[in-house]
Amino acid sequence: MSSLRNAISRRAHKERAQPEARKRFGLLEKHKDYVVRAKAFHRKEEIIGKLKEKAAFRNPDEFYFKMINSKTVGGVHRPKPEANKYTEEELLLLKNKDIGYIHQSIRSEKKKIEKLSSTLHELDTKRPNKHVYFAEDREEAKEIQSRIGEGSNTPSFDNIPSRIKKKTASSYRELEERKQRLQKLEKLYGELALQKELKKPGRKRKLREDEMVNPTSQPVYKWRAQRKR
Amino acid sequence: MAGGRGDGGGRGRRFGGDDGSDRRFGGRSGPLRGMPAGGRSGGGRGGGMKGGSRVVVQPHKHDGVFITKAKEDALCTRNMCPGESVYGEKRVSVQKEDRTKVEYRVWNPFRSKLAAAVLGGVDNIWIAPGTRVLYLGAASGTTVSHVSDIVGPEGLVYAVEFSHRSGRDLVNMAKKRTNVIPIIEDARHPARYRMLVGMVDVIFSDVAQPDQARILGLNASYFLKCGGHFVISIKANCIDCTQPAEAVFASEVEKLKAEQFKPSEQVTLEPFERDHACVVGGYRMPKKLGI
Repeated sequence: MSSLRNAISRRAHKERAQPEARKRFGLLEKHKDYVVRAKAFHRKEEIIGKLKEKAAFRNPDEFYFKMINSKTVGGVHRPKPEANKYTEEELLLLKNKDIGYIHQSIRSEKKKIEKLSSTLHELDTKRPNKHVYFAEDREEAKEIQSRIGEGSNTPSFDNIPSRIKKKTASSYRELEERKQRLQKLEKLYGELALQKELKKPGRKRKLREDEMVNPTSQPVYKWRAQRKR
Repeated sequence: MAGGRGDGGGRGRRFGGDDGSDRRFGGRSGPLRGMPAGGRSGGGRGGGMKGGSRVVVQPHKHDGVFITKAKEDALCTRNMCPGESVYGEKRVSVQKEDRTKVEYRVWNPFRSKLAAAVLGGVDNIWIAPGTRVLYLGAASGTTVSHVSDIVGPEGLVYAVEFSHRSGRDLVNMAKKRTNVIPIIEDARHPARYRMLVGMVDVIFSDVAQPDQARILGLNASYFLKCGGHFVISIKANCIDCTQPAEAVFASEVEKLKAEQFKPSEQVTLEPFERDHACVVGGYRMPKKLGI
């Protein structure tokens, strides 16, 4: 029966809108909007009630260190500034730890480079070394010269499968990347070590460009000679 | 071949089992395929041939020296005692057609001057399978082990080292290699070990002493056959650190000529060692007939 009733099309239900006269209040509030608003209100009401209760039962002798260590600035909690949280020695120790870590990574990187380069001999590249032949007379020299021209140094690797070539190339790439990383780490280490040295006592001064013995882009410092004993 | 691949699926979780269990299926007619790659302990890396070889090893210009290409691109020698590394070097094993395995050891040119000379393109090292070599300045035996690989079971290496400490490593290495005879003695006094050493074809000298030419000459007069050869590595700093390296090499070559040696070539070991050179030549070479 009901299915028959459903078959006949009914007039569409129209939701009531905010009347023109009350347009200034925004959209017409429906019951579910009211529920959300009311719940929020009651929650706040409850919080305020609790706070009021706490204030009423406050113990005037109560004390926490937070009361001194933090303040409200414009109603916002601010912890006490930590400018001198660490002493000079503690800071130096922290810096040392940083340097130690960098030093450790430099060493591990060096080890890895050594390992890689022990198996990567760059067989196909031209070498920078010098090859001298000794000949007794002119004829022998000529013979040697003709011999040098024909023979190639390493056997040709023409028919290597491409997957092996790819592997070799990736190994060389890794080696190159590690070398670059090592360079960066060493630069960083140098900078940190310089900072550490500069923190130490003793009168020192930065040298001008024309005072350096072998000028570099890096800063150079000179310590005043001090009589130790 | 097809059968061999087919039952790979049927094996299911048995994949990677040891060879014994695989052999039951019998269909593995193709020895080059379906070899379980991992799952075996230690140095078997690179041995499997999953879908073709993963390593290419080719002979080098010099006999007994090889070149391997894979993850590494390196000089190597055929390992005389498979499964053993002498100084922690990498090993590469290759399976041949008849399922026998050949193991090669990577030869590090940063640790061995001879390897550096080979990579430097020296024409002849005269050390080849079956030769007898006198090796002066053997140290811990890193290069000696490779020389022993090259000369093979037919050849012989007399390794002379003065220091007891590195001599200990040398002796330990020689225990496993039957063709190495360690001699812990001063190379300046070949008379002291003349009873141990026979005539040799090649002398390799890496003693890094100011009088190394004299030491070489002395040893050659005792042990090197006429028309034999020498390979000497010269460290310029050890001879004279005040002169430029080139001048030192030239003066050493002159000294060698005075000792009846006939140097034929000289290579510097540039990217691997600084201010080092390797000189190769003959000893008491027969005079050319003047026409």
